[in-house]
Amino acid sequence: MPTVSVTVARDVTEAVKVPRAVFVPWPMGHHFGVPFHRNLQRRIVLSALGLLETADEPGTILDLPIKWAEVRREAKVLTEQGQRL
Amino acid sequence: MTAADKTTAPAVDPREAGTQLRPGLWHTINERYPGSMIRKESFVPQAHMVRPLQQARISLVSSCGAHRKADAPLDVCHPFGDFRFLRVPSTSRHDDLIIHQLKYPHDDADLDINVIFPIERLQELHEEGRIGSLTGNFFSFIGYNMDPARFEETVARGIAEAVVQEEKADCALLAPA
Repeated sequence: MPTVSVTVARDVTEAVKVPRAVFVPWPMGHHFGVPFHRNLQRRIVLSALGLLETADEPGTILDLPIKWAEVRREAKVLTEQGQRL
Repeated sequence: MTAADKTTAPAVDPREAGTQLRPGLWHTINERYPGSMIRKESFVPQAHMVRPLQQARISLVSSCGAHRKADAPLDVCHPFGDFRFLRVPSTSRHDDLIIHQLKYPHDDADLDINVIFPIERLQELHEEGRIGSLTGNFFSFIGYNMDPARFEETVARGIAEAVVQEEKADCALLAPA
C-alpha cells in the first residue's frame, strides 16, 4: 500500500528509507504549520497526497523550503487579528 | 555533555534559510538514546496507487499521541515506551481530541490539532471531493520507544494490518511527530 510521510527531519527520513516524503524545515510538532493557518496546512497535506501519485522512485523526498521565519510572521499576524487563513 | 552538544551553529540561521532547523537529528537522538534509532539498508518495493486520489480511501497515521479525550492515554512515562496504538475516529474534531506525548512540543497542536494531526483538513478535502473517502479510524501512537525491533513487530505491524485489512485503505498519510 502506498504511503507518504511528512517530515521535519530530512536526515532521519533518509536513514529509514521511506518510499516517499515531503520535507518542511520546521520545528518538531509543526509538520503541517501553525495553528489556524488552514491554507498552509492544506498546502502541506495536498503536496503529500500529490506525491502519492507522482513519485516513481523509492526514496523520493519533495523539499518545501518554506522558511520558518515567514511562517511565524504569518502566525503572528493571524494571532493579532484573531483571524484564520 | 555529548558530542551533539558541541556542534557549532550553522552560519546562516535555518529559520531564514529554509533548511532543517536541527541538523544531524538522527545522530543527536541516537547518541542520547543509544539503539533507539534505526537505519535501513534498502527500500521496500515501491507500491503505487491503484486509483486516483478522488476515488481513493485514505488513512492517517501519526506518532503524535493524539487520542479521543474519552480514551485512556498511552503510557508516556514508561522508560522503554508504550508498544500499543490507539484508533481515532476520522470524524473527530479538534475539540474531541487531546495529545499525550512528552517528546516533542505540542503547545501549538494543543491550540489546533491540525498542526500535527491534520484530521479536519482531510475531512474538508473529502467533502470537496478531492479525496474519495477516509478510513473509519485513523491511528496514533507514542513515537518514543527504546526497542525498535519490538516496535516494528507490535505497533508498526498492528497498525499496518488494521489499515490494510480492517480499514481497507488505498493509501496512508504518515506524520512522524
